[in-house]
Amino acid sequence: MARQAKQRKREGSPWTGLGAVIAKEMADHLTSARMRILEILIVLTALGTGYAALQQLTGESNQDEFLFLRLFTTAREPLPAFAGFLGFLVPLVAIALAFDAINGEFNRRTLARVLSQPIYRDALLMGKFLGAFFTLALVLAAIWLLVFGIGLLGLGIPPSGEEVARALLFLLATIVYGGFWMVVALLFSILFRQAATAALASIAVWLFFTGFWNMLVSLAAQTLRPIQFGLPQEQIAQTELALLLSRFSPNTLFVEATVALLLPSVRTLGVILPFELQGAILGAPLPVGQSLLLIWPQLTGMIAAILLLFVLGYVSFQRREIRS
Amino acid sequence: MKRSFHLKTILALALILSLVLPGTAIAQEETPVAADPELRLTTTYPSQVAELGESVTIRLNLQAIGASQTVQLEMDEIPEGWSATFRGGGRIIYAVHVSTEATESFDLRLDPPAGVEPGTYNFVVLARGQSLRAELPISLTIQERVPASLTFETDLPTIIGSPSTTFRYNATLKNEGDEELTVNLSADVPLGFLARFKVAGQETSSFPLGADESKNVVIELEPVVEVAAGSYPVTVFANSGEVQAVLNLNAEVTGQHNLSVSGLDGRLSGRAVAGEETTLQIVVSNTGTAAAQGVEMSATAPNGWTITFDPEVIAEIPAGQQVEVTAMLKPADQAIAGDYIVTVRARPAEGANKTTDFRITVSTSTLWGVIGLALIAVAVGVVAIAVMRFGRR
Repeated sequence: MARQAKQRKREGSPWTGLGAVIAKEMADHLTSARMRILEILIVLTALGTGYAALQQLTGESNQDEFLFLRLFTTAREPLPAFAGFLGFLVPLVAIALAFDAINGEFNRRTLARVLSQPIYRDALLMGKFLGAFFTLALVLAAIWLLVFGIGLLGLGIPPSGEEVARALLFLLATIVYGGFWMVVALLFSILFRQAATAALASIAVWLFFTGFWNMLVSLAAQTLRPIQFGLPQEQIAQTELALLLSRFSPNTLFVEATVALLLPSVRTLGVILPFELQGAILGAPLPVGQSLLLIWPQLTGMIAAILLLFVLGYVSFQRREIRS
Repeated sequence: MKRSFHLKTILALALILSLVLPGTAIAQEETPVAADPELRLTTTYPSQVAELGESVTIRLNLQAIGASQTVQLEMDEIPEGWSATFRGGGRIIYAVHVSTEATESFDLRLDPPAGVEPGTYNFVVLARGQSLRAELPISLTIQERVPASLTFETDLPTIIGSPSTTFRYNATLKNEGDEELTVNLSADVPLGFLARFKVAGQETSSFPLGADESKNVVIELEPVVEVAAGSYPVTVFANSGEVQAVLNLNAEVTGQHNLSVSGLDGRLSGRAVAGEETTLQIVVSNTGTAAAQGVEMSATAPNGWTITFDPEVIAEIPAGQQVEVTAMLKPADQAIAGDYIVTVRARPAEGANKTTDFRITVSTSTLWGVIGLALIAVAVGVVAIAVMRFGRR
């Protein structure tokens, strides 16, 4: 009990030194060779998909109200759309930025040295995360601007306020999505002493959600909600369960957020029944606020998941003996 | 010797006479007037029929037998107001010179006075030579002319209809005259109407009409604007040169209501939140010419929506007036955000109902957004608790 009381007692703020850690971390990241490679990869992707989309858009006569948004969603064989590319590039970048955040310090035996400065562990962990997070946000914002610039040059029309708002929200959703994979990598970097193990674990989780989750979901839905008589209710129940389970995957959440934000005519992401569309004007775009409301659960779910995973990592880091 | 000469002469004369006389006797029988000079004034048709107002020219022949002479021409008898002129060689003449045995022809032109009555008029032409005279009575019967005339008739000159009716009159146009006429139809139409003429189903305004022929003409009168109730006289003219026939028609327009449904300021869109009641101001206006009675409001909305109107039934909308109706609109609780069509219907007690589509933009409740924020707040709280619980030196 005495120990606990002692533990709870704190001197000074946990934020002390946070700014310094963030600045150092960002400086490290932005000058690292690893980051350079990722940057080149992403910039090439942005240029390639942006240019391809532009070719596709200018090739067809287009009456689309949201022409600018189609820059992000238009795919041209063999390249996928920009949004689709981000779906698997962002996790890689996020994991690459954070998989050795803590265990790297251990292995270089610099953790004790850092903590001998007037910096709390709280600030170190938070700074590690935020430094990587801001780096990611910076890179993504730069790419976003790049695509936007390509669009301005190529299309020759300014985007409407609605389009800018949607594109900005898409950027935000992408950053949040990256943040999720970053906090996963950070957690593994706390849990595993070896950086390679942490990286592999992170990649494994990512692969699991990218490749296997959907198979498991359809399997589970078919098992738990079998279609015995072919009734519509059964089909709806199965589809709804599959949808619910698939939303545990951050990939699904990101895809849904992308779809709702970049395709304004999307009204709902769930199961839609014919009677719900009675009297509806199909193809009419939703206002940006309504689209945001549509993906709000996805967005808040991802943010909450980030915070909870961070707490896990935080608790585990705080309880760890680091002096050895 | 002298006696013998006489004898010889007498014998010779007797011989000559015996030779010549039979021939002389024949000549005297063929031209018995040769020795009796006279004037002869003749015409081929001394009695003629002329049409009213027509000038008559009569060919006269003049013969002077026995002696060539100059003959003065004049009218011995002429009815009051008539004027007679003699014409020959392209000029007006007063006298004719006639050689013996020759026949001179000239014209007599008789001009009737302006208001000549039908009837028989007698004229006597007098030809006066030296000591000789000839008279020629001429009789002219002036007849009422069969004028080129048109009759224009219809059985139903008055038709009753609503402001949206096309008034259709069936009329018969007949040419009573003896000539073919080209008839032009025109109409004097009250403001707001448009007249059309159809003959044999084809729209036309001019057509030929043979002598004694009649054609059916359909006169269509279409109100082009919302005309007020009332009686509208229409005059239809059939013209052909100087001939004109007039047909007076009447269009009795009875009042008709014409409802229209729209939003305030003509807006046909509205906003609503899923599961929440919103009001939509609807204006029902009557642009017709009669009051609309008992207008019942209803709506067709997507499944699960409820729409009520206040008032449900509008007792009366006078012509040219509008009534505001408040619609209480409640989208289904689970309505998906987006635009929906709601059809609002105004059904008057009599007459066709009018519908208008309103575009309702449905937003979903922000409740889930608040719950999401609360979730994040809880997560932040967990972070804070973790920091407080595990924070260490």
